[in-house]
Amino acid sequence: MSLTYNDWAEAVRDGELVGLECDDCGNVTGAPKAACTDCGSRSLSRVSLPVEGTVYSETTVAVAPEGLEGGYRVGVVEVGETRVLGRLDDEAEIGDEVEFLDVFEKDGEPAPVFGSK
Amino acid sequence: MTKATVVGVGMTEFGVHERTLPELFADAAFPALDDAGVTQDELDAFYFGNAMSGLSENETHLAPKVATHLGMTDVPFQRFEDACATSANAFKNAVQAVEAGVHDTVLVGGVERCTPETGLDTPEMTRVFASASHRQYEQPAGLTFPGVFALLTKRHMHEYGTTEEQLAEVAVKNHYHGSMNDRAHFGGEKTVEEVLEGPVVADPFRLMDCCPFSDGASAVVVTSDGLGDSFDGEGVDVTGVGHGVDAVPLGDKDSLPETKAARDGAQEAYDEAGVAAGDVDFAEVHDCFTGAEVLATEALGFFEDGEGGPAAAEGRTRLGGEVPVNPSGGLKAKGHPIGATGTAQITEITEQIRGEVGARQVEDARTGVAHNLGGDSGTTVITVMEERA
Repeated sequence: MSLTYNDWAEAVRDGELVGLECDDCGNVTGAPKAACTDCGSRSLSRVSLPVEGTVYSETTVAVAPEGLEGGYRVGVVEVGETRVLGRLDDEAEIGDEVEFLDVFEKDGEPAPVFGSK
Repeated sequence: MTKATVVGVGMTEFGVHERTLPELFADAAFPALDDAGVTQDELDAFYFGNAMSGLSENETHLAPKVATHLGMTDVPFQRFEDACATSANAFKNAVQAVEAGVHDTVLVGGVERCTPETGLDTPEMTRVFASASHRQYEQPAGLTFPGVFALLTKRHMHEYGTTEEQLAEVAVKNHYHGSMNDRAHFGGEKTVEEVLEGPVVADPFRLMDCCPFSDGASAVVVTSDGLGDSFDGEGVDVTGVGHGVDAVPLGDKDSLPETKAARDGAQEAYDEAGVAAGDVDFAEVHDCFTGAEVLATEALGFFEDGEGGPAAAEGRTRLGGEVPVNPSGGLKAKGHPIGATGTAQITEITEQIRGEVGARQVEDARTGVAHNLGGDSGTTVITVMEERA
């Protein structure tokens, strides 16, 4: 079953993180794609990713791009067998447990927001 | 084995240039042709790099415009874009085309204008650079390019204990090297304390951990091994080129501090050249941020994983150290006009091996490596160059 960007964005807005699991090799990724990045199989199934995870890396962006105010935090969070990038809403550091709490919208495009449980 | 030979190099100063992109590129291309002693009718192709001008200057289909400005409308030209690895990829393709016998002699180079003085202001340019992060799964969160490398580096600090002081040592070293390069955007004596007192851009990076926005151009002339002694310019051989890749976005990479693309590219390039990391006399690496140099020196095999930060602090990568890294000053001090950076590295390596660089000369520079990284490390091109046999 395919998973499009629009499916992913709709799920994020509904409080669900979705990804794809390869039917052939079992590789799980957190962003929609047309074929498995490990084995190239086009047979992929939509899976619901855990909403709780562990911070893999994080930073505070002080100098922001046009349209945003600096001082926000961005992190890569391990959720189950994969990782996703989102905003961090507090001082969570690498190794801390966080959960998917909210959605940040920039120009009508969502990003998941994680915070401490 | 020699794949191709660089017989001419040229580059502008990196800094602020109130000139159009074609005008700026001519100031690198003509010196490269003159250095080689190659006339335009001896060129078979023009491989041109520019990363951002569609976004930053409303300028696309740039290769024919630049070629026309150079008076060179009768050879095939093509443009390459791979973010910061743009002109290294143009160079790789030129080397392979020459090696395969498709062309005899090719002009390769790149140009970019990134300074606020000649183009977009810092928030706008920060947005343009962020275009290399994933459009749907990274950009909406507000990820910037300092932010990308901060994520790679903070994970490295977590896994290995790399410190902000060690990162600052990279900046101090590269400013020192840049002080001996009259084409460098910045240079001079800086201290670790000065670096650590700078304003934060994206933690752990402060202002002097980051390369500047620069304008500039660079160009090289590539010819076949067989023609490598037939021009005026002293040839330096390209003996290995590796092109490593990784997934984008960051969440799809197996590891952030590993920089897999650089490791794969280095292995490919070393295997082609028949050299090992220990045979490398010096390197020009993609230090867009200080942390990126630490990761690069490990990925290239100069140091064990986790030892890149201590090695920088101990002076092992400084001129006079066991493997000088970025004798030009690197992106950090020399500057980083995106599409010009790859062939500027090739220029420095060529001039080092020829023994032409004066105060920043690496002693016994016979084998040099260029590491040019694109985007979030999704692309990395590694080139091995050696003294011509």
